Amino acid sequence: MKRVAVTGLGAVSPFGLGVKAYWDGVRAGTCAIRPITLIETEGFRCRIAAEVPDPLPGSARRSRADRLALAAAIEALEDADLGRRERRDAAIVVGAVGGGMLEAEAWYWALRRGATPSSLAPLRRILPFAHAEALAHHLGILGPRETLVAACSSGAASVAVAANLVARGVVPVALAGGADALTRICFMGFNALRLLDPEPCRPFDRERRGMSIGEGAAFLVLEDGAHARARGARVYADLAGHGVTTDAFHVTAPHPTGEGMARAMRLALERAGVAPREVGYANAHGTGTLQNDRIEARALRDVFGEGGLLVSATKSMIGHTMAAAGTLEAVATVMALVHETAPPTANLRTPDPEVAFDCVPGVARDVALGCAITNSFGFGGQNVTLLFRRP
Amino acid sequence: MNRRVVLTGVGAVNAGLTGGASALDAYLAAPYAAVARPPGEGPAVARLAPSALEGLIDGGEARRLSRVSQLAVVAARLALADAGLADAEGLGVVIGTEFGDLRSTMDFADGYLASGPTGLSALLFPNTVMNAMAAATTIAIGARELSLTLNAPTVAGHLAVARGAAAVAAAEVEAVLAGGVDEADPYLMEMLRCLGASGETRGEGAAFVVLESADRAAMRGARVLGELCGAGWAGLPARPHGVGRGGASRAIAMALGQAAVAADAIAWSYLSVGGDAERDAWEHRVLAAALAPWEPPAAALAPLLGQHAGLGALAVAAGAWTARTRQLPASTRRRGVPRDDGARALVHGVARGGSHVALVVGPAAA
Repeated sequence: MKRVAVTGLGAVSPFGLGVKAYWDGVRAGTCAIRPITLIETEGFRCRIAAEVPDPLPGSARRSRADRLALAAAIEALEDADLGRRERRDAAIVVGAVGGGMLEAEAWYWALRRGATPSSLAPLRRILPFAHAEALAHHLGILGPRETLVAACSSGAASVAVAANLVARGVVPVALAGGADALTRICFMGFNALRLLDPEPCRPFDRERRGMSIGEGAAFLVLEDGAHARARGARVYADLAGHGVTTDAFHVTAPHPTGEGMARAMRLALERAGVAPREVGYANAHGTGTLQNDRIEARALRDVFGEGGLLVSATKSMIGHTMAAAGTLEAVATVMALVHETAPPTANLRTPDPEVAFDCVPGVARDVALGCAITNSFGFGGQNVTLLFRRP
Repeated sequence: MNRRVVLTGVGAVNAGLTGGASALDAYLAAPYAAVARPPGEGPAVARLAPSALEGLIDGGEARRLSRVSQLAVVAARLALADAGLADAEGLGVVIGTEFGDLRSTMDFADGYLASGPTGLSALLFPNTVMNAMAAATTIAIGARELSLTLNAPTVAGHLAVARGAAAVAAAEVEAVLAGGVDEADPYLMEMLRCLGASGETRGEGAAFVVLESADRAAMRGARVLGELCGAGWAGLPARPHGVGRGGASRAIAMALGQAAVAADAIAWSYLSVGGDAERDAWEHRVLAAALAPWEPPAAALAPLLGQHAGLGALAVAAGAWTARTRQLPASTRRRGVPRDDGARALVHGVARGGSHVALVVGPAAA
């Protein structure tokens, strides 16, 4: 198996365009969760989310999610400084959930309210695979192409799947990431499940009342380590291991013992050949729901021991960005290794005594880091852990 | 591929057949087109009979699961039984779908549009995410390893088989249930009609193959239906939703390379052609360029069973059937008969937008 290096990063987040804006916001512990402007919220208990601020780059004829994805993917490819041929031969693996649903919803809402929508174009971009098609065409990528739907772990799963392609020598370079725009279906669905906090979410806080949703996109360029070295590429980190498991328990609820989550973490450690004590930081899935945070903390304790590492939740600042979450959090984890800084958990005032970890409340922490993990979990009992190591 | 990957089971439910390998064998030996053209301008469609799932799913699942998830669960159980697997220990699940559970998504939205926030169903919401069928399947069979849902036009099922085979070959999992599912919901048919139906015959159903390492299959004394010798997937140059001019096929080259065979070892092929004239012509151009001057006899299942994501797994199982019987389904034969020298099948799919998959299937090794 080949070493998998991270040689490019791109992000579009509620902090704006680019990895710098994203990392500056995350490191500062700034909460970007605000009243929703993109969709109607009348009559709902929760009316906030973390939206990507205007102006968005790219043509307004594209779906919002495509524009987010393109901006992040272009930044990642330019950051990796890949040549045209390397780009052409690369794999592209996109985690997606909502596809072009935001525009398709507007089309359908208008139709049902008696209007005649002028264009059928939104329906052509409704499905998740639309992002991969748009990216591959726009960026000239002709390698293996996959669109993964693994609910809230889609972005992380895309990175794991792309890493396999590089590690096995199928391709020397892969562009992997996730994208999602805010959609009515998502907003209404989590409201219907009563999983949204009317205030910005507070992961790992004793008083937490649920999650906040968000939107964004992030991509990583994964590269065969020898290939990266040969072309003199900068390596941010190695993706040393990953674990993908399933609970086979419940459609929406995680297994109460966190057994599937713990298996994903152990699998990542095993594949990386890393001992639990070597991991200094975990970027948690950390949604802010009572159930998820407690079960994730239990799984972390089972694998790493009580207080064995720093834990923080990026979602406290940018909300749950669905298919983008896993890769935005992977970017934060890589940046944490690069800067040897554990980003904080915002809005964490009264730590939950049942969470046996220092969850870095409010202020980022300088810390020597050799390895870090990021967890992503999703509906259907999907569990993904990515383990990054300083090169 | 690192480890040899063999096919030990198949399960399918669609408009033409329901069952395992023997049901597929019987259907392929005497195939018929299970397609009807609905009134109006909509595309031809191969729909399951309303009673198709009776006796195949229990009452609780019938109440709890959407129809498309029921299709996936039924086909998964049929495939496991066909493979002689009593449980899903060590089993991964890879499911391809083009449209997911569109019906539930529409019902969820309609609830809001009819009654506002109080009309929303918390039970329907999880079905709006495309991995709902994988979730239902892993829960139903108890599969706890990797679970992936792949979304693509036309070739989602082919891609799922390719990805599943790669996972077994690389020892990521010991075995995998790989295939796909789609539903020909009336709303979807109407949407396709609005968008300008391409002429493609649509269908519905689910199909899976059980792929496992040759060593594990031998150890447990499993019946081997065939071997998946190579898998390749890539993009062809095309605009989103468009067809390309031709293009060198990286996917076929990758699959042949893994199988360590040249183009002239391909004795027959199963194609994704299904009535979309532009796309079908593109697929023929891609194949001609990749295999020239050799032009193996070809068959396609979409004209018989309608295009749905289950066809990828079915085509792989059909390729193994051809390897065993030296026959192609009679009504779809293009020309010639497969060579009788133990050569391989190419299972091939191209989608509008450029997603492209090639799988090389061979007979079970002696």
